[in-house]
Amino acid sequence: MATDTDAREVPMPKRSNAPDTGRRNFLKGATLAGAAALAPPVAAGTQASDPPKGSTKAAVPGPRLAAAETMPPSKDPVSQTTSGGDFMVDVLKTLDIDFLAMNCASSFRGLHEAVLNHGGNTKPEILTCPHEEIAVHMAQGYAKIEGKPMAMICHGVVGLQHATMAMYNAWCDRVPVIVMGGNIIEANKRGPGAEWVHSAVDPGAIARDFVKWDDQPTSLQHFAESAVRAYKVATTPPMAPVMLSLDAELQENPIADAETLKIPKLSKVIPPQGDSAALAELAKMLVVAENPVIIVDRVARTPAGMARLVELAETLQCAIIDNVGRMNFPSRHPLNQSFRRAILRQADVIVAMEVNELWGSLNAFSDRIVRSSKPNYKQGAKIVTLGSRDLYMKSNYQDFGRYQEVDLTIGGDAEASLPILIEHIKRLIDDGKKSAFAVRGQKLAAAKLAAVEQAKSDATIGWDASPITTARLCAEVYGQIKDEDWSLVGTAIRLTWPHRLWKFDKPYQWNGVSGGAGVGYNLPASLGAALANKRHGRLTLAFGGDGDFLFAPSTLWTAAHHRIPMLYIVHNNRAYHQEYMYLQAMAARHGRGITNTATGITITDPNVDYATVARGFGVHGEGPISDPKELGPALKRAMAVVKTGQPAVIDVITDPR
Amino acid sequence: MKLFTMRSAYVAVLVAVTFAAREPGPVALAQNAASGDAANGKRIYLADGCFTCHGRAGQGGAMNYPAPPIAKLEMPVESFVAFLRDAPNDMPAYSADVLSDKEAADIHAFLESLPGRKPAKEFPLLNQ
Repeated sequence: MATDTDAREVPMPKRSNAPDTGRRNFLKGATLAGAAALAPPVAAGTQASDPPKGSTKAAVPGPRLAAAETMPPSKDPVSQTTSGGDFMVDVLKTLDIDFLAMNCASSFRGLHEAVLNHGGNTKPEILTCPHEEIAVHMAQGYAKIEGKPMAMICHGVVGLQHATMAMYNAWCDRVPVIVMGGNIIEANKRGPGAEWVHSAVDPGAIARDFVKWDDQPTSLQHFAESAVRAYKVATTPPMAPVMLSLDAELQENPIADAETLKIPKLSKVIPPQGDSAALAELAKMLVVAENPVIIVDRVARTPAGMARLVELAETLQCAIIDNVGRMNFPSRHPLNQSFRRAILRQADVIVAMEVNELWGSLNAFSDRIVRSSKPNYKQGAKIVTLGSRDLYMKSNYQDFGRYQEVDLTIGGDAEASLPILIEHIKRLIDDGKKSAFAVRGQKLAAAKLAAVEQAKSDATIGWDASPITTARLCAEVYGQIKDEDWSLVGTAIRLTWPHRLWKFDKPYQWNGVSGGAGVGYNLPASLGAALANKRHGRLTLAFGGDGDFLFAPSTLWTAAHHRIPMLYIVHNNRAYHQEYMYLQAMAARHGRGITNTATGITITDPNVDYATVARGFGVHGEGPISDPKELGPALKRAMAVVKTGQPAVIDVITDPR
Repeated sequence: MKLFTMRSAYVAVLVAVTFAAREPGPVALAQNAASGDAANGKRIYLADGCFTCHGRAGQGGAMNYPAPPIAKLEMPVESFVAFLRDAPNDMPAYSADVLSDKEAADIHAFLESLPGRKPAKEFPLLNQ
């Protein structure tokens, strides 16, 4: 459902209001209808954005340029007074894009220069990234905290190939990222050598399976319309990256048709609500159920999402199982039963909201010689899905999981549908139901309390051990940050202690995981989230595995260069640990013992000194720390650095998990 | 990332152990249990990679599913060895060719010797 009359819409200033009064005011005649009506916040932590400024600045031409313009035209001109890149920057400004992450490349030199000298390096501001994967992952982490997309730009061929792994993660994670790539479309315009191997007929082909939409504009007007469309498509649930291939000459050369150029208005798509009758039917099922269980994954798109889910759960006094794809539900809420999944065996109604792969949540799977599975829910239980998963599907990459039979599928954005569902439920609840629900809630609260105590008890095992247990590590970290306005934006694989032990109750305190499980996400995506948190003055921290760290360690240079505060804790088990266990399983299966499995798996000989690596990039580094007693003081020192606005890394030698 | 309850995995392990204990075979293991060498068990536990899933302190961990805590193991050695021979879910099974009954009993002795849990209330960092 599209509308161009949304209350958030802010009229764009006319170009005539811009301070650019020189002859480079090529847009004087162009219409800026204003792409100001930004899409709604897309994730937790979103604050209302300032109205985008359509006006742009450009310097009045100096004497040399002025002289050039008064001379007769040359067959081989050496200067120009307009550039397509300037117009592109104006378009990006109307979309209120704060940052443009990049690793510089000649195929977008026109736009790069325009961002700096026409756009004043603000909205977007350039983020220098030593690898394109860093740029995209930063955008992924940023969007999930800030609630709006960031842009990145790369060489359309070699840079895009670097970027694709991160794009896949963002796509699986349903996160909007505006990806742009430079290209030289016309073969006769390409210089010999690099410009040929860096050009393609269809650059977007390599990423088309994991972007929601892409285009290669052939005119500036085409670019304006496609850029606004790309933003709209990317931020419409289910969200995903989009890509624009930008012709180099289009960016670099003078504008031929300034008087006719127009930046179209962005009309946001209102996230679709589920059918009201279907939601009413679901409400009836939930109200009459004895043990309803709600599984959630990427429900909370905005700060309102968590509050709505809490209202639903408290209205029903029912169990919530959070797959933690977003900050959906407070970790210590009495109805949070995420670590008591056995309750699915008692559930008579199971509702899955924005769960990407439901079958995986409802079945136990054995990775053995003969692979097998069995349901982990009560047969006969009614299963309902509510979400946008079924509204968007692609074929090649199989991120959708095995087909799960359900009784009712409600297509629609879960967060947007919750108010209607809650309203339907409230109409059906009488005093008798309220009493019954209260009893149910008390039982769940008691079970939750027991689960927390169980977690604490588990955490005591090996408390003083070295290497340090991950439980001790997480307890030490929480001791340092619990009184701060913190935001945890990354964890190492299967590091679940924070969600077992910590109190998460704010929409920005968690932002999910990689989506595609592509290693190399954690460090750069955490930095992107930290960039978003910086504006709000929050303390950003993240855990990350050592293997993940080594994919993009130069992320730390970007952190230092742009002064992005973040406390990054390396969960250093000196191995690609998940694979370590898989290889042992293979060796055991083949009856060859499991002692000869370290080769190709462990990250030792030499051990990596991550603190030294960090210092090499200009980042405060502590460690390696293997004595748990040293952890607290090291964290205090690192926190002090982070509070000055700088990043810090702590290398902690840990037990595997 | 999927979160699984440690409890359900632990229950699964116990069920599997109970079933395995009914199988014939490890009758002679009672003797090994009595003479289990905890020091050698620790060596094997670390060398054979048990720690990669269950932790060096037996605190537990995770592979595809949670690997339950096994410190201060309270399980008959016969059941323990039978369990290793036909481990459930994603846990590797250890044949006698790979891990002898004696070695398994040594591991059992090591796990029994681990201190295990302490009262959580004694740890201020776990009560915040």
